[in-house]
Amino acid sequence: MNILFVMERRVNAGSIQALANYMRVSKEFGYAIALYGPPDPRFREIECSIDAAAFDYVIFIFESKLNWPSGLQLAHLLTTVPRSRRVILDADGMFNPIVSLDGYDRNHASEGDRQHWLAAYAALADRIVQPSLWPCDPRVQPLLFYGYDPAACTRQANGKRVDIMHVAHNWWRWRDVSERLLPAMERVRGDLGKISFVGLWWDQPPAWAADIGQQEAFCVDPGRFRDLQIEVRPAVPYREVIATMSTARVNIMTQRPLFRRLGLVTSKYFELFAADTIPLVLLEPEHAELIYGPAGRELALSDDIGGKLIDALEHPKKYRDVVHAIRQHLTAYHSYKRRLQELIVTLDHVDGQAASAK
Amino acid sequence: MKLLFVSKLARSARAIFGEKQLDFPELAFSLEVGEFDVAVFVVYMPSDFPDLPYLARLLDGMPKDRRVIIDCTGRYNETIRVEHDFNHLEKMDGHQGWEWIEAFQSVADRILQPTLAPRRDDVQSFLFHGYDPSGVARGDVSAAQAARRWSDTRRYGVAYVGHNWQRWTQMRCLLEAIAPMRERLGMTTLVGWDWKRRPDWAVELGIKGADVDPELLERFGVETRDPIPFSEVRSFLGAARFSPIFQRPLFNELGLVSNRIFETFLADTVPLVMVPDALATAICGPAVRPLVCGTDIAERLEEVLRNPEPYWDAVVRVREHLATHHSYRQRLTELVALLER
Repeated sequence: MNILFVMERRVNAGSIQALANYMRVSKEFGYAIALYGPPDPRFREIECSIDAAAFDYVIFIFESKLNWPSGLQLAHLLTTVPRSRRVILDADGMFNPIVSLDGYDRNHASEGDRQHWLAAYAALADRIVQPSLWPCDPRVQPLLFYGYDPAACTRQANGKRVDIMHVAHNWWRWRDVSERLLPAMERVRGDLGKISFVGLWWDQPPAWAADIGQQEAFCVDPGRFRDLQIEVRPAVPYREVIATMSTARVNIMTQRPLFRRLGLVTSKYFELFAADTIPLVLLEPEHAELIYGPAGRELALSDDIGGKLIDALEHPKKYRDVVHAIRQHLTAYHSYKRRLQELIVTLDHVDGQAASAK
Repeated sequence: MKLLFVSKLARSARAIFGEKQLDFPELAFSLEVGEFDVAVFVVYMPSDFPDLPYLARLLDGMPKDRRVIIDCTGRYNETIRVEHDFNHLEKMDGHQGWEWIEAFQSVADRILQPTLAPRRDDVQSFLFHGYDPSGVARGDVSAAQAARRWSDTRRYGVAYVGHNWQRWTQMRCLLEAIAPMRERLGMTTLVGWDWKRRPDWAVELGIKGADVDPELLERFGVETRDPIPFSEVRSFLGAARFSPIFQRPLFNELGLVSNRIFETFLADTVPLVMVPDALATAICGPAVRPLVCGTDIAERLEEVLRNPEPYWDAVVRVREHLATHHSYRQRLTELVALLER
């Protein structure tokens, strides 16, 4: 089976890491997977193709921006690839009712905005898959999509230069960071070494935030970081994420509230466990268990976050055993090899349904 | 025949498929693709293809043999470079030449270009832009009367309305040529984007198409102004004695015409035709020759100032030619004939 992905090309965000992994494992199965468009020096290991007709399926990956595909590309794809072979991966849960959390994070600003997305999806494809642990809409097919690469597990030979690291962009994360993480760090700051936040918009919101009406999404107070002597570093390309995480004893994963509510999974869930670090995840224990297995509860940051940070730094052996158990779970249930098989089954299943219906 | 035009609109750029846009009250908008016989895509840049869901609806709702593309900037060609002008601007829009070719071939069976001599065999000539004889400003007078009126004081000596995109080389030549006579001629004004300074994006991307020399403009006392709506162009040009007609080097190379040629002849001004003589004559007729400027720009302007009537006679005769051969009525007839062929 040959699959062509169409997505916005971003070197330090989105689904590019997953795509690189799908390409890697597809060779074992004799499948061809490519990214639509000409080759790009920023993505050396990514196969690219402009021959859309040569693929069995075209999967459009939509995140939180609707109109990233250029009209030129769309015109070619829509006229070359029959609708029955187009699939949408709704990575950010836009194909849902409006979910607005405490007037803060949300998938749509208004019902009109949502209807525009639904109309766009309806115009593009019949099939929508979501990387959700609990999809809300029966028309959506669940497909976690993102996965774990056991071979990517690194062992950092050199000593750690950072105690606590957080690798993610400041996109709807400030509330959790400012209300939960920073107060917890403040209480134990004297017992912590260097803390680093790596990613975009932790120093200031982008100049265009107001233009897209989303100032709240990028809200940040750099003074809080200064007060706690927290280092802010720029984003790293996708292929350096695991190595960057591996420079810290502990890595914290946060997720925007909307994603937690919708059970959406991202690359970060798995990259964290390929890194040579102790991952702690700002998830409820039940949520962590769903994806990481029973041992996942041990790494959930739900209450006494400061105590957990200190415990992880003081008892690394205990946490390494937990991480080992989780890696085994991820290898068994969430490897990219398995994910690719699930993707193929999903595509075939729907094709079979369509054939039966005919 | 019912035609549905598809293009992105901007008040200061050009004059329809899509949601009603309140800033274009004079235009009719529709999303009912099925009610039209033909969809005409008017394409300058990638954003002229509609976003989702509209593009998908158009492609689903109108068969390919009833879709037509008017390729206004010669995208549907091999990549061509003229000076630092290109038909494919990969640095700016991320699209290579093959993408334009594939997209056009995917969308429509017929591709038209506003040139008398398309380079590709699978392109037909259709000038698209046209002349509206009823829009001539103060056109009910003879050349002698126009010349007398023109000799009265005007706010500007020279006015150019258009964005600074691939125009600077030509503009600089004009400004340097007329500099010695600027006291007598009156002020020069440039209206449009990016005349004040080279924009940041051009610097960042290393694009020279928006070059400008603010010091030179200041030295020559040239006024720069922001863009004005298309509906105000004619009256604005009428406040100047002369209005140059420039085209991008690429357009001159491909023989592409733009709205500017026709629009300038509507205004109560003397057009300084600065497109190649052959192209100017082919479009405007032989009467345009006195208005075509070669290397003797200052000399020509001095001559017009001394004796304007022959030049106004040329303007009047060009207007007649344009009314006969390039009216929008004529253009629509040509388009329908092309579509029915």
